Amino acid sequence: MSERSDIVPTPEGEFVEPTRFAPLSFLLALLGLGGLGLSVVGAFVSPHQFSFSWLFAFAFYFTMLAGCFFWIIVHHVVDAEWSVVVRRQLENLSLLLAVMVVFFIPIVIYRHHLYEWMNIPVGHDPVLDSKRGYLNWHFFLVRSIFYFFFFISATLLFRRFSIRQDRDGNPAYTINMRRLAFVALPIFALSLTFGAYDWLLGIDYHWFSTMWGVYIFAGAAGSSMSLLVLVITALRKAGYLKETVTVEHYHIMGKWMLAFCVFWAYIGFSQYMLIWYANMPEETEYFIRRNTESWNALSLFLVIGRFFVPFAILLLQGLKRKPHRLCLIAGWIVFMQMVDLYIVILPALHGKGVLVSVWDFMPLLGMGATLAFVFLWIVRRSSTFPNRDPRLLESLHLVN
Amino acid sequence: MGAEFPSASALYEAAKRVRDAGFKKWDVHSPFPIHGMDAAMGLGKSWLSAAVLGGGITGLLTAVTLEFGPSWFIYPLVVHGKPVDWRTVPAFFPIMFELTVLFAAFTAFFAMLIMNGLPRWYHPVFNWRRFSRATNDGFFLIIEARDPRFTELEARELLEQSGGEHVTVIHED
Repeated sequence: MSERSDIVPTPEGEFVEPTRFAPLSFLLALLGLGGLGLSVVGAFVSPHQFSFSWLFAFAFYFTMLAGCFFWIIVHHVVDAEWSVVVRRQLENLSLLLAVMVVFFIPIVIYRHHLYEWMNIPVGHDPVLDSKRGYLNWHFFLVRSIFYFFFFISATLLFRRFSIRQDRDGNPAYTINMRRLAFVALPIFALSLTFGAYDWLLGIDYHWFSTMWGVYIFAGAAGSSMSLLVLVITALRKAGYLKETVTVEHYHIMGKWMLAFCVFWAYIGFSQYMLIWYANMPEETEYFIRRNTESWNALSLFLVIGRFFVPFAILLLQGLKRKPHRLCLIAGWIVFMQMVDLYIVILPALHGKGVLVSVWDFMPLLGMGATLAFVFLWIVRRSSTFPNRDPRLLESLHLVN
Repeated sequence: MGAEFPSASALYEAAKRVRDAGFKKWDVHSPFPIHGMDAAMGLGKSWLSAAVLGGGITGLLTAVTLEFGPSWFIYPLVVHGKPVDWRTVPAFFPIMFELTVLFAAFTAFFAMLIMNGLPRWYHPVFNWRRFSRATNDGFFLIIEARDPRFTELEARELLEQSGGEHVTVIHED
């Protein structure tokens, strides 16, 4: 019988010892430097391939981290109880968006390889000329700066309030964060939507889809919940959060993974079906490229692997309550998010079929290892859970 | 036989004792859902989810049959220049989805009615005047006489020991 747990957390919180992850950090630093170093080589050897590979890795990490930020806002907006114990890790993860600014610099430098519309002079393409009011370099830059300014300042504020509350337990911080969340929610929606248009849809300036932003968001939210499951399990394996996060929390995270698995399929299919059914040349261009040659096989793999497989597995109630099995699915969903963005970005470069280049992996490895390194540095700077949040006890004693 | 309890936690503790005493035909009544009561009562997983899954699969198969049957075999027709083979499936997905949801929802609704024995206009507990407070501020535990372990003496003793007040025998009429 699962009676309620009666653990009372220590008000001091739980801290990661500074030297706990030292060997791992060292390894990650080496991998990060190696990956980024080889990426620089790629940038000189094969700049065109490099720019697309870099954008692919950037989009993969950016969407997942932005998704983590989304979960923080939603937590405060709906005044959620269950997520209190996992919230600190979401705050740590979304703080990594500050690192993503550095990784955005190569995209700015190599913009002429990525965004064809920047190379076409006025008067050569009437379709593009009608979009010049939005698609021009200065406005593009201003928008990108705004997105990063918003994401970074908001994540910093949320984390600052949360950590101050750790020290004095003042419930006013909870109210402040809730207020902030209501302001941040619409700005987040606009930033992620237009970020997706600018950075990803902008590769193919002819194509348009009003569902693009929500499509990217659906992938981001689902994969970031999977990432959270992985991070929490890793920390538990290392000996933290053992008493605070229970199978009940895993159950809820599993439910969210299922929900966003369905949501992604719903949005992705809605976008596809309307274009497929109407069959208008200016819209079908995007899908023709991705549904012919070897891209078709990869697209089918995406549909099956990102929706049908995890959907069928996540339907099982028992599985969501087994952390290690849920981790396997979470890892799979993160991998499929990567495949999703690969199909979004790379066909613009290799229209003739899938052509995996060695430069695809370097930015992925370099960015990933660097982000993980910074994460390990951030994680030990605060308690592993918000130890004086007013709703901590409710979260600890969660029952599904 | 019914007993009234002063609070939700008293009812929760009493439910655990009745569960451990091995009774099967009994139930608790409270004005609001009590977290953890399922486990305290020793209830297993309900068969509702299995029924809903069955309903959903039936709906899906219905849609598949109704769509692919005519479009492939009975009356193949080229619509919108779309191919007449499995690649037409995107056009059929919305209906598959809708029928799956419709059948699953209906199954959930009717299975719920069956499991709760509804609609039922009358129940012997209505004969107990105090019981009308179950929807207001009363917490009740009722053990039915058809339980194989039920003896009036034993049930009364158990309910009184676990803190029940106004332990009353409720008759059919």
